[in-house]
Amino acid sequence: MNWKSRGMVATAASAMLILGACGGDTESSGGSGSNGDQVELTFWNIWTESSPQNEASKAAVERFMEENPDINIVQENIAHDQFKVKVKTQAAGRQLPDLVQVWPGAELTPLVEGELIQPIDDILDTWDGMISESMFADYNVDGTQYAVPANVTPTSLVYYNKDMLAEAGYDQIPDTYDEFKQLIEDLKAQGDIPITLGNKGQWLLQSSYISTIGDRMTGSDFLNDVLAGDAKFTDDRFVKAVEVIQEMAEMEAFNNDFNTLDNIQHRELFLSKEAAMMIDGAWSLGPIVESIEDEGNLGIGVFPALEGGDGNPEAVSAVTGTGIAINSELEGEELEAAQKFLESFYSEEYYTELLESDILVAADVEMPEGASDSLKRVAEIVNTETTPVYDAAVPVDLTDAINSGLQEVSIGTLTPEQFAKNLQDIVDSGL
Amino acid sequence: MDTVSKNKWPIIIGVAPALLIYLVFAIVPILISFYYSTMEWNGFTDMEFIGLANFREALGDPIFWQSLKNNLFVVAASVFGQVPVALFFALLLNRKLKGGKIFRTIGFMPVVISTVIISLVWGMMFNSRNGLFNQLLTSIGLESWAQNWLGDPKWAMISVCITIIWQFVGLYLIIFLAALQNIPEELYEAAEIDGASGLKKTLNITLPMMKETIIVAVILCISGSLRTFDLIYVMTAGGPGHSTEVLAMYMFDQTFSSTRFGYGSTLSIFIFFFSLGLVYLATLILRRKSVAD
Amino acid sequence: MVQTTMSDRATAYEKQAKKRKFTKKTLIYLFLTLFALVNAYPIFWMFLNSFKDNADFAANPFGLPVEWMFENYATAWETARLDVYFLNSIIVSVGAVVITVGVGALASYFLARFTFKMNKMMYGFFVFGLLIPIHATLVPLFILERQLGLLNTHIGLILPYIAFNLPLTIFILTSFMRAFPKDIEESAIMDGCGVFRIFWSIILPMTKPAIATVVILNFINNWNEFSFALVLINDESLKTLPLGLTNFSGQFTTDYGAQMAGLTMAIVPILIIYMFLEKHIVKGMTAGAVKG
Repeated sequence: MNWKSRGMVATAASAMLILGACGGDTESSGGSGSNGDQVELTFWNIWTESSPQNEASKAAVERFMEENPDINIVQENIAHDQFKVKVKTQAAGRQLPDLVQVWPGAELTPLVEGELIQPIDDILDTWDGMISESMFADYNVDGTQYAVPANVTPTSLVYYNKDMLAEAGYDQIPDTYDEFKQLIEDLKAQGDIPITLGNKGQWLLQSSYISTIGDRMTGSDFLNDVLAGDAKFTDDRFVKAVEVIQEMAEMEAFNNDFNTLDNIQHRELFLSKEAAMMIDGAWSLGPIVESIEDEGNLGIGVFPALEGGDGNPEAVSAVTGTGIAINSELEGEELEAAQKFLESFYSEEYYTELLESDILVAADVEMPEGASDSLKRVAEIVNTETTPVYDAAVPVDLTDAINSGLQEVSIGTLTPEQFAKNLQDIVDSGL
Repeated sequence: MDTVSKNKWPIIIGVAPALLIYLVFAIVPILISFYYSTMEWNGFTDMEFIGLANFREALGDPIFWQSLKNNLFVVAASVFGQVPVALFFALLLNRKLKGGKIFRTIGFMPVVISTVIISLVWGMMFNSRNGLFNQLLTSIGLESWAQNWLGDPKWAMISVCITIIWQFVGLYLIIFLAALQNIPEELYEAAEIDGASGLKKTLNITLPMMKETIIVAVILCISGSLRTFDLIYVMTAGGPGHSTEVLAMYMFDQTFSSTRFGYGSTLSIFIFFFSLGLVYLATLILRRKSVAD
Repeated sequence: MVQTTMSDRATAYEKQAKKRKFTKKTLIYLFLTLFALVNAYPIFWMFLNSFKDNADFAANPFGLPVEWMFENYATAWETARLDVYFLNSIIVSVGAVVITVGVGALASYFLARFTFKMNKMMYGFFVFGLLIPIHATLVPLFILERQLGLLNTHIGLILPYIAFNLPLTIFILTSFMRAFPKDIEESAIMDGCGVFRIFWSIILPMTKPAIATVVILNFINNWNEFSFALVLINDESLKTLPLGLTNFSGQFTTDYGAQMAGLTMAIVPILIIYMFLEKHIVKGMTAGAVKG
């Protein structure tokens, strides 16, 4: 026989056998149900890699199942970027799991509008005195609560290397922008990269820069006013905030490859002491504290005050996260189990564990002894005042335009005025 | 196409399995997607029929046109970069050669490697601060030629295209190698008796015999380039600005980031028909040329 | 024919020819070596970096590891859940390849060697598939499979893989089969062979290089396929390798060393299949190759 045809037939046959054996179970994706006395709940989250936060979260789920042997939580861990694609596809097919991790703002609202998730107002008193109303706000849509926040993440901290700043004659981040610019020049003069930036993903200039810098100029009601039609992006104050970013790029405050590095690579420039400062979110705190040689050398501040700005010069943009929403189709026994899960998941123990992993939490729990000094410093900053992060406050298409537009401003192919006008055009076309 | 069967059943039995699977799992979904293109739908709330509004929007969308322009650049780079290079190395490798197997295997490697790795390695080589290319240029005194390869809109597309060419040469290499096996030995023997040299043999026998395969390669190149997605997505995410945005990426973002399923589907229709037009054009040109020969 | 007077000149000519041949060979090797270096480097780079930790990788991405982190492979094995996902990937990829190439070759045979009314149209119809942007089909396919009850099954993944690889398969195979001389089937028909017999014993063996090519291409496509696997499979026990390989990068962190260790392990099966089939692609020229 030719060409190993016998072998091929054999392979085909065995493949068929395998297929036959595996094609049997056709359980649907959202498939939950009672298995004997046990209630089974499916739960999707993004806890794939072994970070301290993920480990703590997974441990909290395990703990719950040990305490409640009659409830089985079946987790599916999907990496962040892929998670969003999957949720949107399955939401379109109305096949969400029983419990699903949700993000505030633009990600949450459509789920509510599509009636895919249900309110948790009934169980809110569980966290009375533990979580304040303002912390609940991100997961609240029109007065109804849909999830409980675990962490609160300032997105715009200025990390700095104390030694490198001292060498240039500074002991902290200056209070005014003019002095800050002088600091940048001084750092450049001594051969350091003043600020490391990795904006390949385009969101960093938005989340960690304009969210706070914009607020310095416009104050915190600006975005809501713009969306309501009471203010415009073409407002001088907003344009001026964008000009700050443009100016920093033009004066070479950043590493010159800042639009080709991602937000993980830029952190490495800070850790390797090539860059003296890094403007980034609190998500970098854990990885920095973990890898830095001497934590005493790590300084954390906020972006300086801007002249003529209407915002609080010490405020920092922040958003809460790691909320879990309940599928709107859940009822009876399953709903009870899901509520029970939320009540016990967001426990003091969990919050304490997060604090120990350098994650700032949305609940008012005592700082554990093991908490790092850096975390305490971040807590101080957040306690001053927090302001909205742009991508959680505006619709997605506007966020996309802000992201790519800021990148263009940073390379000089778009002027701040034109950028502001483009944004306003999008707002106008949607109204 | 010589065998004319009077009995139709064998043909039906032979083609039906492939046709059936293809219809249900490829054609039906894309038709449903085409149907979405007349809708305003965010995937969460109910669909709303809006006729051709999505199409009108696309025609007036500057990012769409920019993506198309970038995409045509990728098509051109692929067709004129990948195919000739692959053909050249296929001809070099199509002989008894010590170590030939190793060279063929290594030549195929880029097709096998994950795009994540490709974008990491090439991204680092293109890096403006400490990348290989700028260091090379500096070391031979051409410092002024050093560029911010991926961060400068003027160079980003070119840098990305170089990477894409590199990535897929191996694919066409093995297709060409396989096709070269199809050329009957007797043709070469006859030519040798006529005293034809190596180059002449290549020009007069090999290339004409390869014509069909070259057309196949060009079509694969065009359709592949218009659907190109992964590499650029991880390498530049479309930036800076939209200077490396391509159609499939823009469609993906509109669908899954902005959750505009209707508009995303509209963009996919454009991708489909652009490919169709280009493929038709390419076949026309390549076939006419061969008629002239 | 032998002319002793000419022998001197003949050897001189031979020498010159030898010399020319030598320079030509050198040139060829030079080109090929360059080509090989450029192509092999990233794999080598990946392999090297799979032994580094993040700090080492960031500090010297192009050098040798300061400390060889062999445990990256253990981490990778666990994080990407390779123990389960590897087997699933093999089942799905092999299953899809076997069926795609099987039904694809059969269809190509009829499309390439028979004249019938719908032939051209059908061929064109298959080739259309090359132009479909697959991300556009994710949502419809998800909804379709839900209605067919195929979600969360191996077969539910295999069928779209077949459907989306058939165009390439048929496109390449048909173009090959068309190139065969027209008289090859005639003698077989004289002998009274049926059409399927001709396909099996005459056409298929002749198409071997092309079949090997499409098997490799199909396998790579299926092995790396990500989007369908992401949306069509929820069950941990049924997921495939590419899903596991994304587990290394979170929203704000990436474990590069383990990621590269995982990716290194993931290409091994492709390499094995390639090595195994490569000799069929180039059967004619490898010394000592066994004729089919």
